[in-house]
Amino acid sequence: MDQKPVIQIQNLKKSFGQREVLKDINFDVHKGEVVCIIGSSGSGKSTLLRCINLLETPTAGAILYNGSNILSSGNTHKYCAKVGMVFQQFNLFNNLNVLENCVVGQVKVLKQNRKEAEERAKRYLEQVGMLQFINARPRQLSGGQKQRVAIARALAMEPDALLFDEPTSALDPEMVGEVLKVMKSLAESGLTMLVVTHEMGFARDISDRIVFMDGGIILEDGTPDEIFNHPKHERTKAFLTRAMDK
Amino acid sequence: MEFWSWVSRILEQYGSLILEGTGITVLLAIVGTAIGFAIGLLIGIYKTIPIKSSTPMPLKILYKIFNFLLSAYIELFRSTPMMVQAMVIFYGVAYAFGITLNRLIAGLFIISINTGAYMAEIVRGGIISVDKGQAEATHSIGMTHLQSMSYIILPQAIRNIMPAVGNQFIINIKDSCVLSVIGVSELFFVSKSAAGATFQFFPAFFIPCVIYFVLCFSITQILRYLERRMDGADTYTIYGTEPVINGADTLKRGDVK
Repeated sequence: MDQKPVIQIQNLKKSFGQREVLKDINFDVHKGEVVCIIGSSGSGKSTLLRCINLLETPTAGAILYNGSNILSSGNTHKYCAKVGMVFQQFNLFNNLNVLENCVVGQVKVLKQNRKEAEERAKRYLEQVGMLQFINARPRQLSGGQKQRVAIARALAMEPDALLFDEPTSALDPEMVGEVLKVMKSLAESGLTMLVVTHEMGFARDISDRIVFMDGGIILEDGTPDEIFNHPKHERTKAFLTRAMDK
Repeated sequence: MEFWSWVSRILEQYGSLILEGTGITVLLAIVGTAIGFAIGLLIGIYKTIPIKSSTPMPLKILYKIFNFLLSAYIELFRSTPMMVQAMVIFYGVAYAFGITLNRLIAGLFIISINTGAYMAEIVRGGIISVDKGQAEATHSIGMTHLQSMSYIILPQAIRNIMPAVGNQFIINIKDSCVLSVIGVSELFFVSKSAAGATFQFFPAFFIPCVIYFVLCFSITQILRYLERRMDGADTYTIYGTEPVINGADTLKRGDVK
């Protein structure tokens, strides 16, 4: 795991008007690492993830991808294609069926030929257990199924890293398990993952590292054992007590 | 009974002329709606280009200037009657350049840019109505604005605005009659000629009344059909099997594998 970092965040800041949501964020994600970001609502977790995927433009700082700062480069499309995102609200393309959802990016962005793209899409859909549904439209699927397709869509781009923005928060409790199961198998397969989550059990079991955010800064950054069993800060302790109680 | 005999006499005498006029009316409506729709799409795409703080200044200024011109076009054409626009453009060109435009071409031009102004707003509304997450998802897989629009956003926006576009089409069938003021020989114009020649105004205008109704009514039905087709089937086939699942609900919570 001590390889060079895929993504490096340096002095990242983000303000919405007067409100400073991210204040000087620094951390690295290494290849093959699974990092979970935890923290209470409004601590800036999602904003951080959205900044990394350039859905929000950071106010200051640098995001290095394989060593080069993408905030100063003109063409960010290639970077976006290689750092995938799984959304809380799934955001499957409503006008396309399941297969096309996983094919369109490969064909249009990666310029893959259609036949290979379909093969690849089917392979990933099978991995998330959705191969049967390739002809279905998003509106015909349940939340858990949609999220699994969304994961397959992101995987089909063969990304260097995958960002998850509270992937199970919009799901009915009984569907959370099926999505976490898929994510767990991805983590075990060596995919680089950065996960914003409220699923503490999941974070503890599969993370290599946990980042605890509070009030727009990273308060603590350590192994699951360090964070869950020996938290250094009072706020971390308080948060974990509250989160575990639920 | 005199009414019906006049109707049949006018049809006999002016039938081919009325048919031609109907053809011109349909042509005006189709071309006007199609070109207007294309104008609307282009403006809609342009108006939703994301301008970031990292965009270079000259580009930003250029964008703003062109954006202002587009807004001026939209407001100008939405705030004046098409009848007046027709007069101003047709006689304005003659006055300024000494050119007499072909009346049909002038008519097609006017109805197209007039429709374009309305369509621009309809399309913009359609794009706004598509969930923001869709655009974010296209961004997250590296699509450009144009790709995102072409493959994901506009197909959904267009589906959403179909009723409004259909409305515009029907309005164009009827309102193309105002182009008679510059002598476009569409349905109203030829009916007026027939009325003027026979002095039988009621029968002469009863005929286009029926024709307009039939045109609009059948187009409404065609559009409804198109909308249903765009929605696609409510069923889907399970991959690797043949039977069609009726009502996706049966599978909704079904466990996979």
